[in-house]
Amino acid sequence: MANIKGRVLCVDDEPNILRSLQWLLQKEFEIMTAPSGHEGLALVRKHDFDVVISDQRMPGMTGSEFLREVRKISPRTMRILLTGYSDLQAVLRSVNESEVFRFINKPWKLNELPLVVAEAAHIARTQPVPAAVDEAPPAETRMETILVVDDEPDMVDILRQEIGASASIVHARNLAEAVATFESDQAVGIILADTRVDGLDSTRMLKMLKQHYPGIVTVVCTLESDVDNVVDLINQGQIFRIIPKPVKPGLLMMAVRAASLKRQQLKDHPDLATRHTVVGLSEETRQALMADIQRASLRATPAADQEQGGDEGGSFLGRLGSGLKRLFGRG
Amino acid sequence: MAFTLFAKQLAKAAPAAAGGRGEVAEPKPVAMKGGRLNLVVYYFFSSLWVFVLVAMAMITFETDQADFFKSVQEEQKVFFKTVQSSFAKRQDDAARQDLLAIHEAGNVNLTRLFANTLWETDFAPFVARAQAIPVEHCRVLADVRNEKTGKTEPSPGKKHCFAEVGKRIMALPGFAALDLKVHDTMKRSSVFKIKVFDLRGITVYSSERAQIGEDKANNAGWKSAIGGQPASELTHRDKFSAFEGVVENRDLIGSYLPVRAPGSDKIVGVFEVYSDVTQFLGRIQQTSVALKKAALENERTIEAKSAENLDKVGSSSIKSLLVVGGLLGLLYAALFFIMRQAQRTIEYQVQQRERVQQQLGQAEKMASLGQMVAGVAHQLNTPLAYSYNNIQMVMQSLDQYALPLKVAGTFSRLVKSVEADKVTFNVAKAKAQVSGIDERDLDVAMPREMLGDTLQGIEQMRELVENLRDFTRLDRTKVARFDLNKGLHSVVYIAKSVIPTRVRVVEDYAQLPEIECNPSQLNQVFLNLINNAAQAIPGEGTVTIKSALEGDMVRVDVVDTGSGIPTDVLPHIWDNYYTTKPAGEGTGIGLPIARTIVTEHGGDISVVSNPGMGTTFTVHLPIKTAQ
Repeated sequence: MANIKGRVLCVDDEPNILRSLQWLLQKEFEIMTAPSGHEGLALVRKHDFDVVISDQRMPGMTGSEFLREVRKISPRTMRILLTGYSDLQAVLRSVNESEVFRFINKPWKLNELPLVVAEAAHIARTQPVPAAVDEAPPAETRMETILVVDDEPDMVDILRQEIGASASIVHARNLAEAVATFESDQAVGIILADTRVDGLDSTRMLKMLKQHYPGIVTVVCTLESDVDNVVDLINQGQIFRIIPKPVKPGLLMMAVRAASLKRQQLKDHPDLATRHTVVGLSEETRQALMADIQRASLRATPAADQEQGGDEGGSFLGRLGSGLKRLFGRG
Repeated sequence: MAFTLFAKQLAKAAPAAAGGRGEVAEPKPVAMKGGRLNLVVYYFFSSLWVFVLVAMAMITFETDQADFFKSVQEEQKVFFKTVQSSFAKRQDDAARQDLLAIHEAGNVNLTRLFANTLWETDFAPFVARAQAIPVEHCRVLADVRNEKTGKTEPSPGKKHCFAEVGKRIMALPGFAALDLKVHDTMKRSSVFKIKVFDLRGITVYSSERAQIGEDKANNAGWKSAIGGQPASELTHRDKFSAFEGVVENRDLIGSYLPVRAPGSDKIVGVFEVYSDVTQFLGRIQQTSVALKKAALENERTIEAKSAENLDKVGSSSIKSLLVVGGLLGLLYAALFFIMRQAQRTIEYQVQQRERVQQQLGQAEKMASLGQMVAGVAHQLNTPLAYSYNNIQMVMQSLDQYALPLKVAGTFSRLVKSVEADKVTFNVAKAKAQVSGIDERDLDVAMPREMLGDTLQGIEQMRELVENLRDFTRLDRTKVARFDLNKGLHSVVYIAKSVIPTRVRVVEDYAQLPEIECNPSQLNQVFLNLINNAAQAIPGEGTVTIKSALEGDMVRVDVVDTGSGIPTDVLPHIWDNYYTTKPAGEGTGIGLPIARTIVTEHGGDISVVSNPGMGTTFTVHLPIKTAQ
């Protein structure tokens, strides 16, 4: 008899999907099903679930709406979204509002789904419960280091204008500069990044950073609207919020404040970070990332130093070197 | 002005009524009679008469110019003639004046000479004696009017009286000797005649005796001479009694000359002297004639020259007319070619435009197909997911059956081969073998259910493919008799996979006969309308598709409970490329194409909208097309 690894709720409007999920997971988990979001919520209120799996496209309440409510009712429950040919808006909403743990594409892989669910259940059972983080401004903000990775100045300007006094803002104009920031345990708490920086893809780096510094909270601001990229960012990077560009200052500040609250939470309870474990990057991806950073470093100019607030310790390349060592050395 | 405004307002306010039948049509330009533009034909006819008009105007102008020139020439000729003749006349007159003056001067001299030599000795006493003879009795006699000449003349009585006086004068002593002396002195000179008058005006001597005694007191010449001023006159006499006798046809200068006493200025008498100037006058006349001849020659020359000029002008005007005509012709031809080129360009542009329209129509079709494909792919995912899952699980289960089935097989073989009632076998050995069997894996019901679900999934996929085929109708004939409700249903099926889940779709179909139409085109139209309807609903709402029979038309309504179309947007929804979606999202030709398709079917499409409440698009289609 396989031991029950956790209690799982499946929600989908297609009964055959529910049956298949049940058949697949019932060996290891205690499965309950609901044909709609409303009925699912009723069950969530009644029982204590470790994991909730929901489809996105359902009549009445969509998956992201359902998961948002689940987060409010039962923050301990890990949330997984089944995506088919979903629209980007819904996916972004499920990222920003319900802090989804993983996205699973339909059709799922038979041997992967149970593993993901098991991981989620394990975290739910063993890790502390986060207090529900709401968007209201906190009573006090402790000094935070915010790293902005972007070749355009808009985000930095908005940040400096809004909270320049209460936070330390570091601007990296390319990947190499970003990596160089980590040469010391600088305790970068929040990263604000675009998915393409100076012509290079930054998501690999973000995922890598999350892997090594689980305490970092990342907010992505991006022009592109590819669902697959979003899914990857969640599954592999556990990105905290995704905001569209052009950036609306109001939205950005809301996300930054939520991020700083989350950061606070993670700092106070580092174990909470395990709720946001990520899928590791493949070796191939790591190599590609290394190559990109080298390319970026060739373009970078030493003038980037000034952002650091007069820290003259070591040349830029030296700092880049240490940063790389830290990131890749642990790999 | 008011009417146009009114018409415009009508067109604006009634798009629903106008709908597919079009708004107030713009008047077609003249060049487009017959539908397509024929610039060349239009140009040919419209420009031709303009050119002709211009040519005629030019000709008229040229002719006027020529006429003007001619008249100027004429004037000049006339003027020249006048000038010439006036000069000739002046010359003539001057010559005559000169002749007169010279002869008068000569006569004056002659008189003086005469007086100096003859007066004191011969004439003075004679004249004194003659003067004593009374004449008053004759003077008082009346004059008569000559009926023929109109002049006043002495009456015959008067004449006779004076003749008597003459006789008396001639009877005076010394007359004969005087007469002789005078004749001798005047012999062979140019003086033809002499007359002597006394201070009273009476002719006291004349070389023509009959004239002696005549009264010349009233004679202007005598009056002038007695006043001290010589007076001369050029006359022509057919007959003239001169010293030598009667002469005929002569030009004479007659001078009345005052006679002064020698050595003083006192006038003692008047001479009348005639000198013959025929020769001189003849010369003058000859000169005159010669001048006239010359003048005539000049005129002829001028005439010839002017004729020549006229010819030149004429020919040059003809030349210039030809040149201008030629240029006009060239211009016409050049414009003709330009028009032709323009025509070609316009036709090309029209072609291009049509091609672009076609491409856009194609793009729109592709976009709607693309949408549909996306929806279908999404729909496929669900049955695909569970079927995929189930098949794999069943395969796993089958793997689990291997051992139990082997055992069952072994057991049945054993049982079949044994004749006895009971059999003994080694449980411990068997235990090892069957240890791998888990009761739970022997469940046949579950795999069977899984496959049942899989079959359902495949059925769903099949249905989807069929709907897809029905929708696109790629393999069917273009025009067909079509069950509209079935078509609407397949469109709804497809649409459901594209539109948001919070929008409810309601189908409400009435019994409809089959209609003649192009089903794939109609499917495109209705998919577009349903999509628009769903997109108009911001949150939750309903899209209702209703079909009904109205006489010989079928009517389809697509009703949404969305935000409606604002009144300022409503007139534009049928415009090409008009869209309220952000750039890159809508082509703006969905509705225009829908309208084209519907009107080509012989139907119409209209819209009624309540901002904030919803919109209804209504399509009418004929059951039988006029095609």
